[in-house]
Amino acid sequence: MEEGIVRYRRDVWGEEVILGVSWDLLWVVAVAVLVLLAAHAIVMAVLVNRKMDKPSADGRRVLRHETIDRWFHWIMAVSILLLIFTGVAPIIGLRVAWLEIHWISGLILTFVVVFHIIRSLFWQDFKSMILGPRDFGEPFDSAKKPGKYSFEQKGMHWAVTIVALTVIVTGILMFVQIDTPFWDRTNSMPEDQLGLVFLLHGLSTLALVALAASHMYFALRPEKIFYTRSMLTGWISEEEMAANHDTTRWSPKEAD
Amino acid sequence: MVATSHDVMPDIELYQPADEANALELADTLGSDGWLLGGGQDTYGWLKDRNKSPSAMIELTGIDAWKGVSETGDGIEIGAVTTLTEIAEHSLIQSRFALLATAAGQVASPQIRNVGTLGGNLIQDTRCWYYRRGLSCYRAGGNICYADSPEGLNREHALFGSSRCVAVSPSDTAPALVALDATMVVSSASGQRLIAAEDFFVGPARDILNMTVLNEGEILTAVRIPNTWANAEYYFEKVADRNVWDFALVNIASAMRVENGVIQDARMACGAVECVPRRLTQVENMLRGQARSEDLGAEAGELAVQGARPLNYNHFKVPLMANLVKRAVRA
Repeated sequence: MEEGIVRYRRDVWGEEVILGVSWDLLWVVAVAVLVLLAAHAIVMAVLVNRKMDKPSADGRRVLRHETIDRWFHWIMAVSILLLIFTGVAPIIGLRVAWLEIHWISGLILTFVVVFHIIRSLFWQDFKSMILGPRDFGEPFDSAKKPGKYSFEQKGMHWAVTIVALTVIVTGILMFVQIDTPFWDRTNSMPEDQLGLVFLLHGLSTLALVALAASHMYFALRPEKIFYTRSMLTGWISEEEMAANHDTTRWSPKEAD
Repeated sequence: MVATSHDVMPDIELYQPADEANALELADTLGSDGWLLGGGQDTYGWLKDRNKSPSAMIELTGIDAWKGVSETGDGIEIGAVTTLTEIAEHSLIQSRFALLATAAGQVASPQIRNVGTLGGNLIQDTRCWYYRRGLSCYRAGGNICYADSPEGLNREHALFGSSRCVAVSPSDTAPALVALDATMVVSSASGQRLIAAEDFFVGPARDILNMTVLNEGEILTAVRIPNTWANAEYYFEKVADRNVWDFALVNIASAMRVENGVIQDARMACGAVECVPRRLTQVENMLRGQARSEDLGAEAGELAVQGARPLNYNHFKVPLMANLVKRAVRA
C-alpha cells in the first residue's frame, strides 16, 4: 500500500502498520535538488559572479581546520557517501551485497560523530557554530560578515547534525535487528515500531541525499572552493579571510 | 493480510508465443507484468492465493526450440521447458549425467514431473510459508522475517547465508547442475548471456527480493552441461518428510572422479540449507587426493557443516547435512 510519503501494509494480525518511506520520493528529491542547484548555478553565472572579485590565495596563511578535524570531515564524508550508495543501491535495483558495507560505514559514522560531539564540546570553540539572531540577518546585509562560520555553513552544519543523528539512532535500532559478528539478531521489535524506525531512517536518508548533494555542489563552487582547499590543507589566506570573514569575530592563528 | 486460496485463476491475460523471438519480445514488452509460465507448478499456487497478481502470463511451453535434449560439441544442452520426466528418463542424460536424471526423478510427484519443467524447477520461488502466504516479510518488500522471529516456525529454513531472510532454495535439480558445472543460457530481446549455474542463484545479501540473477525481460532458455563430469561417480540423495510430493529438508549432489579408491577430483552442492545451492568447496579441496573411506566421509561431513547457524527449529539439519555429505563421500 503506497500513500504519499509513507508506505503502509497489513501486519500478521491484519492491522495497518507503517512499512517505511515511499521510495518514489528518492526521485522527487533527486530531481528537486538537481533543479535547484542548476538554477543556483545559472543565477550565479549570469547575475552574481561577474561582480565578484576573487581574493588571492597567496600571502600569509591562517589556520581554519586542524588536522584532526579534517580527518573527521573526510571520514564522515566517505562513510556518508558509502551509506547513501549502499542504502540506495537495492532500492534502485542494483544487486550488490550492500548490507555489511552499510552497517560498517554506519558504525564508522557513529564513532566519528560521537568523537566530534565530545571534541566540539570540550576542545573546540563550540560557540562559533551557534546560530544567533545576528546570523539570520547576514544573508540580507552584505556589510555583515561572519565569524569563523557563515550563516549558510552553520545552517548546513545543524541540518546535517539533526539528520545524521536521526539516521544514526534509527540505524542503530535497525542494526540490532540483523545478525552481526557482535550478536545474533532477536527480531523481536514490534512491527509497528519497526515500521516507524524504517520511516524515520528513510526520511533522514532522503534529507541526507539532498544535503550531501548541496554540500558537494557548494564545496565545488569557484567562490567557495577555498573552503574545500582548507578542508584538505587546513589553511586559507589572510586575504580570503578578510574578504569573507569579520576578523574581529574570528582571529585564527597563523598556519604552519 | 493473509490471502485466501481461491478455486479459480484470477483474470489474467494469457500470451502463448510459438517461437523464441515472439516470447522474448513479449517478455521485453511486458517486463515485470509478464509472468513467465512453464509447467505452472510454482505459478498456480501464487495466483490462486492472490499473493502475486501479474496482469499477463507468457506461456513458454509452446516453444519447441526450448524443449528437448541435444548433444553439443562439449556436452549436452537441455531446453528449459523440457519436462522433469523427460529429463529423468532421457537415455543420454541417464547414461552420461545420471546425477541430473536422479535429481529430476525425485522432484515432487510423477504428476508434477510430467508437467513441471527444468526451468521452472530452477527458478521457482522459495517455499517459506510465511512468504508464500502473502505476509509482508523482507522477501516480499517488508521489514521483518517472520520465520526468524522468536515464535517463528523455521524447521525447513536456512543454516547458512541468511541475511535477514532465512528462506532456502527448494530445487532438487539446482544442486545437481551446480555439481555438474552447468551453464545457464539466459536470453532476452537484447541478446544472450551465459551464467555458471553456481552464479545463477542469488542470496538475500545481494538481492532479497529475487532468487536468481534473471532480470526483467530475461528468460532462462536452456541449460548446458559440459562433458567435464560426464560419467563421473555420482551421488544424489534427498531427505524429505515424505518420499513423494515434498520439498527437500536437505539434499546432496556430488560428482567425483575416483581412481583406485583415491578421489582425484570432486564437486558437491547441498540444497535446502541456504538460499542458493551451497557449493561445498572446502570439502572438495579436502577430498582431492584422499582415499575414499568411512572416516574421510565423517571428516568431510563435519567440515561441510562448519559455520552453520541453525534457527530455533532446524538444528536437526546440521547432522542431517553432515551425514548426507558422509554418505556421498563413502558411497
